Amino acid sequence: MQTAVITGATSGIGYATADALLKKGFHVLIIGRTMHNTLQALSSLREAYPHASINGFYGDLMQQDEVHRVADEIIAYLQTHTEGALSVLINNAGAVRTWYTTTLDGIEQQFALNHLAGFLLTHRLMRSLRLGHGRMILTSSASHKHCRIRFDDIMYQRRRYSCLGAYKQTKLCNVLFAEEYNRRFASEGLRAYAVDPGLVNTEIGFKQTGGLVKLVWALRKAQGVPAEKSARTFAMLATAQPAETNLYYYDCKPVAYDRHAFSGDAPQLLFDLSQRLCGITTFGGERL
Amino acid sequence: MNALITGASGGLGRALAIEAASRGIDLVLTDIDAQRLNIFRQGLLRQYAVRIEVFPCNLTNSADVADLFSWIQQQQIHLNMLCNVAGIDFEGDFLSMDCEQTIDIVRVNIEGSMRVLHGALRHRDPRNRFTVIMVSSLASLYPIPLKATYAASKRFLLDLSLSLAQELGNQNVSILSLCPGGLPTTPGALQGINAQGFWGRVTTNSLPAVARNTFKRALKGKHIYIPGVVNRVFSLCGNLIPRTLLARLLYLRWSQARQGRPVGEKLIG
Repeated sequence: MQTAVITGATSGIGYATADALLKKGFHVLIIGRTMHNTLQALSSLREAYPHASINGFYGDLMQQDEVHRVADEIIAYLQTHTEGALSVLINNAGAVRTWYTTTLDGIEQQFALNHLAGFLLTHRLMRSLRLGHGRMILTSSASHKHCRIRFDDIMYQRRRYSCLGAYKQTKLCNVLFAEEYNRRFASEGLRAYAVDPGLVNTEIGFKQTGGLVKLVWALRKAQGVPAEKSARTFAMLATAQPAETNLYYYDCKPVAYDRHAFSGDAPQLLFDLSQRLCGITTFGGERL
Repeated sequence: MNALITGASGGLGRALAIEAASRGIDLVLTDIDAQRLNIFRQGLLRQYAVRIEVFPCNLTNSADVADLFSWIQQQQIHLNMLCNVAGIDFEGDFLSMDCEQTIDIVRVNIEGSMRVLHGALRHRDPRNRFTVIMVSSLASLYPIPLKATYAASKRFLLDLSLSLAQELGNQNVSILSLCPGGLPTTPGALQGINAQGFWGRVTTNSLPAVARNTFKRALKGKHIYIPGVVNRVFSLCGNLIPRTLLARLLYLRWSQARQGRPVGEKLIG
């Protein structure tokens, strides 16, 4: 049986993707931010799939020590249940912030959660992905287009904080990370994808945000498709045989992404910066 | 240059430390929470090439503070700057709060600040310029019913700093009081900002901008910094309106804003 790990899986796109993979017979490990949310999601998934193998972990993944703790727990779990192998890792957890706020590590929160958390978790689970010839999928967004990484001020410390600007930049980080990951690890049979879920009817704009963001999201959300629709793309990428070979997908199909954002070695620069900010010397450790 | 920052693992402490590090200032960070302090040190070292030392410390404990300064001396760190950020506040009106909680506000905000300010000034190198940033609050400018103890404790810091700025002005010491409105630091603070609706939004300041301007003004030798135009207008009005009327007006505002919020919840610190 194939095993999938999904972050941000207690609601929205992550929850719908967990549901879709359970339907395909996956062994699913969900990660939520709080114990309460995680237990709630677990019990409703177990109710819907009483014979499936489902488990849950929780942690505030924008804090790096929480990523390490959750990774340790997952690695230990995989060791006893799948001989360490992982087939699919879906880095989906994401947030929107109205104001500039930092994590305990001193990192801007959207950048910390939407990009670095997935980067660090993938690093920690690389041995499992290698053992499972696994795939890694990132929840990106079409909003990454026409945006550039400002490497001199990636965390908005020098310029006026823009909630949407910071968000778009993290979604571009997802595409660049997937690109660099493939450049480094595709030869080992590993693959990464970035998914544009489209405009989805989720609660992302209401969590720890205020005034204007809530208002705008209330209007946008009403136009959104149900999360089940975008979950199909994740399920397709998780199960396709042979593995899909493109980078960026929308509605189960490869689509165009912003290639101009790749200029000036942006994928590699971001990868190096992310390694430094996570205190990683060799991403993913040694080959098997 | 070396700066000592208290309350360094909280939201404003982190923002000031990031600003200092980006200016190439070496840091001694202190906070009551050793684990958070070490996490922040590691994160900051990965971003900036400065020396960062941490020394966990309870500022209300005189032995702890004495240890802090003798350790700084042992390390041969010559302080040029103190950012006194450590402070706490709890939600609730005077009588429904636990008495010890209200006294804790005074202990940390006043007693702790006095200890660390006195210690830092005593241990300064008198040949060099010494800059102090005292984190007061917009709340220091008015009597604020329902935040009575906190506002009064910040008033103490503001008046103390303004007086000391004169006392020590000819001894190469400058003191800036930072009086920010709402700062988006903790989930509790964010809830507070959102609960106030429009006024919460317009009196809230961006953390990196506040940190940047605070350093700019402190190093120029300014005495007081109230971030944000709306907040400055409020402070002017505050000077013109009689304080009894002001207290009445603010009571009306805060009793609306804090409806449904749990008593005793830690807001900052």
